[in-house]
Amino acid sequence: MRLTGVRRFHWARDVEEALSLLDAYHGRGALLAGGVDLGRSARTDLEGLIDIMGIGLSYVREEDGRLRIGTTTTLTEILEHPAARRYLHGALVEVLCRVAVPPLRNMATLGGAVVSAHPWADIPTALVALGAEARWEGEREEHALVEELYRQPFRAVFRRAVLTEIALPPWNGAFAFEKLSRSAGDIALLNAACGVGIQDGKIAWARVAVGATPARAERLTWLEEALQGEAPSDTLWRQVQEEVERRAKVGDDRRASAAWRRSVAGVVVRRAVARAAERAAR
Amino acid sequence: MKIYFELNGVPQYPEVEPGESLLQLLRRLGMKSVKEGCGTGDCGACTVLVDGRAVRSCIAFAARAQGKRIITLEGLGTVNDPHPLQEAFLDAGAVQCGFCTPGMILVAYELLSRHPDPTPEEVRTAIVGNLCRCTGYRKIVDAVMLAAEWKREGRWR
Ligand SMILES: Cc1cc2nc3c(=O)[nH]c(=O)nc-3n(C[C@H](O)[C@H](O)[C@H](O)COP(=O)(O)OP(=O)(O)OC[C@H]3O[C@@H](n4cnc5c(N)ncnc54)[C@H](O)[C@@H]3O)c2cc1C
Ligand code: FES
Ligand code: FES
Repeated sequence: MRLTGVRRFHWARDVEEALSLLDAYHGRGALLAGGVDLGRSARTDLEGLIDIMGIGLSYVREEDGRLRIGTTTTLTEILEHPAARRYLHGALVEVLCRVAVPPLRNMATLGGAVVSAHPWADIPTALVALGAEARWEGEREEHALVEELYRQPFRAVFRRAVLTEIALPPWNGAFAFEKLSRSAGDIALLNAACGVGIQDGKIAWARVAVGATPARAERLTWLEEALQGEAPSDTLWRQVQEEVERRAKVGDDRRASAAWRRSVAGVVVRRAVARAAERAAR
Repeated sequence: MKIYFELNGVPQYPEVEPGESLLQLLRRLGMKSVKEGCGTGDCGACTVLVDGRAVRSCIAFAARAQGKRIITLEGLGTVNDPHPLQEAFLDAGAVQCGFCTPGMILVAYELLSRHPDPTPEEVRTAIVGNLCRCTGYRKIVDAVMLAAEWKREGRWR
């Protein structure tokens, strides 16, 4: 453990208690969910850890086609939950079983993944594409699309608030997820989540998010608009690949070069869109 | 601070530091099968079972053991009375230096307690995060498949 300076460990019993403890530490306390990130952290500024695994936020519920997931639910618990498995014919399962490795999925929570929001992470990409909504409690209860949350200084928000729920809306269509990594359990060099709805043989709507570019996921709204009204075909998928390769915003980091990312971005998005369309047409 | 938990079936009431890892606590309590490889959650050498689930003890907080049932390799079998999974690892030649072995066996234990009849592919998926630098993974997969067969034959206790 590389965290130094921690002097107190608290087991919060509810959201209110977690918030008042957080408040009492004036920025020197942190909420502890799965601990996968905090357990690796070398922060020296933390004095108190506030365990939130017992505050009643471990649940998966299906409501009017929406899937509501409490933020302390572990990735394994989600993967094993029948409602989560059913959601969009397994779209969520397809993503989560590519996230990290089983013993880490036993620890990591959905809330921790949303708040840590590593730019290379897969969960933010999927949640942005799916139009997921986040709910949190700080001074008051608030909610926003995960995509909008990421446009705000969200890390500052969650120094004084508890993210309580992620809700996934129903979609009349299908999604597919693609991830390129060096090995099966490794983090993404590029990832994409795409959704497509088909009506009368034409694409009625499309959602495309690309992440690990190496920046955090962003939607390709120009592509979503261009796809509307088109009939799925190999020619269309070839065009998607070429256009994404041309227009993708990619960069260098220590894992991959911008040139390499550009050369694969088109393929990754093409595969995800084509697979989503094929599923939607079934 | 004092916590209570069950370690390999035996109640424990240790004093723990708020920033201490579960790995440090378990080794302090004499569980030397719990290895520190990377210390950052990447290699799997420190894997233990918490309430039946494999977790990475190097990045888990010791305080979190409160009220839990924890199993380390010491809780599965001994040199004189090995667990069938340990025997299978020896039979299949899946152990060289042995550093990765406790973690591999515990991840396999979790898998087989949930899926007694896995395919080799499912075994590979289960051990994907546990690194072995000596043996290669084929013999480890063979060992888990062998142990699964023994389990289905009722040879596990
Ligand atoms: C080796 C490794 C491999 C990984 N591979 C992948 C991968 O392939 N794909 C991928 O997408 N991700 C991957 N991850 C990232 C992983 O998904 C996240 O680290 C994990 O989900 C964090 O969740 P946690 O519950 O452990 O968070 P914690 O460590 O408990 O918390 C993380 C941060 O979020 C805050 N926080 C947690 N919960 C809340 C809440 N409810 N409200 C407000 N703040 C909160 C904490 O205070 C802390 O700042 C990997 C991580 C590791 C260590
Ligand atoms: S020592 Fe814990 S994962 Fe490597
Ligand atoms: S046997 Fe040496 S690391 Fe696996």
